[in-house]
Amino acid sequence: MSAELTFDELALLMKKGAGLPVEPADLAERADATFAEFGLDSLGLLGIVGELENKLDRPLPNDAERSRTPRDFLDLVNTVPTTGA
Amino acid sequence: MSSLQQLPQRRQRRSVVTGIGVIAPNGVSTEVFWKATREGMSVIDLVTREGCEQLPLKVAGEVRDFDPAVLIEERYLVQTDRFTHFAMAAANLALDDARLGRADYNDSPFAVGVVTAAGSGGGEFGQRELQHLWGQGSKHVGPYQSIAWFYAASTGQISIRGGFKGPCGVVASDEAGGLDALAHAGRTIRRGTDAVVVGAAEAPLAPYSVVCQLGYDDLSRVADPYRAYRPFTEAACGFVPAEGGAMLVVEEETAALDRGAPVRAVVAGHTATFTGAARWEESREGLAHAITGALEDARCAPEEVDVVFADAFGVPAADHAEAHAIADALGRHATEVPVTAPKTGTGRAYCGAPVLDAAAAVLSMEHGVVPPTPNVFEVNHDLDLVTVSARPAELRTALVLSRGLMGSNAALVLRKCPSGSPS
Repeated sequence: MSAELTFDELALLMKKGAGLPVEPADLAERADATFAEFGLDSLGLLGIVGELENKLDRPLPNDAERSRTPRDFLDLVNTVPTTGA
Repeated sequence: MSSLQQLPQRRQRRSVVTGIGVIAPNGVSTEVFWKATREGMSVIDLVTREGCEQLPLKVAGEVRDFDPAVLIEERYLVQTDRFTHFAMAAANLALDDARLGRADYNDSPFAVGVVTAAGSGGGEFGQRELQHLWGQGSKHVGPYQSIAWFYAASTGQISIRGGFKGPCGVVASDEAGGLDALAHAGRTIRRGTDAVVVGAAEAPLAPYSVVCQLGYDDLSRVADPYRAYRPFTEAACGFVPAEGGAMLVVEEETAALDRGAPVRAVVAGHTATFTGAARWEESREGLAHAITGALEDARCAPEEVDVVFADAFGVPAADHAEAHAIADALGRHATEVPVTAPKTGTGRAYCGAPVLDAAAAVLSMEHGVVPPTPNVFEVNHDLDLVTVSARPAELRTALVLSRGLMGSNAALVLRKCPSGSPS
């Protein structure tokens, strides 16, 4: 997966990893609502981070599993680190 | 000093059963379970669960016709094991049966608690994730492993799903823990909680879990489903395991009556003892003590017991100990009281087994009939074991017995409640 993570892919991950039937369009429209409002708990997000790390074959930033909203999460994941720090 | 006289008489808060939910090998609803139990159907059959076919355990009580996706939302399914699927489905049935809905406790979520008993937790889920760990690496273990195989998972998920914020607990006290959970619910209610969703369900029929059980000498290795589990007979050759269980709604009596709930039975008395793993001879004294204690707790004379739901372990020494324990505790009444063990038709669902017996006991009292003991014919103990077909009888008090492989013994007294008359 070289392209950026999209709302479509995030919706798929939420469905597969946490059993949440989320519409991608709804996720995009309410990108600033909290994950909790979509029914995703901290363990669910942790599972999505793990799944993505396996797919991308690289670690995500440490704060990834603490993202509060879909937009925060996409911003963090799609910001490829250029330095080690 | 008038203030003292004005203190209300503090009556003991009594626990009553208002709802029953069953997910068992012989029925995935209370109605089907009761019909099969009353008819004495035997559903013990060849083990067909994936990965178990080649193992030395040949027969068991499998819960078939159970599709968790129909009964439980996907978000709960992905994070729970089969044993929790059973418990959540049974809890739903019990709550529906008790007509206890969110509208009843929306304003007082802390008045409803959850208690389950568990013997082994989520073995199938755990096996899958451990295979990911050793097959693909630690990054392939899902985070829900941390909660799904934990023996407390069912209590937690039932509480979360229902929004029950009252006292929650898990009893891990061996197979007899199913009865101890009901007693724990009773204590919770005595301390002020209005209702407790309580019971146990187990899912021990998955490869890892079955392999764990192969170490038990008492597990029946007989491959004929009709001959594998025959307690109280010359042919007794061990026990057959089963999956499933039951959840009950137990409520404080006046709270139940106030909301017009159907009061099904009183949880009247309980005692538990411990006599050590596989020391069946010693379980005689332990079980007799449990029976005597439960009767005293219920202020019930031995002669008042109208039916005994036996533990019926299926190993000669254990059966011998149980028959003598019943005689030690009930005296002459022991040879007169009808005794039954419906679980010979389903197998033993570990902690779920005594809760299924408690459910059957309530239903027996309601229907005025003692269900039979399937597959058992020639009884070689001085007990009036009900075999072949159900026996009509007026039942006001039922005694439910349970023992575990690890040495726990428990007795529970359930009494019929005259409709709408709190005493």
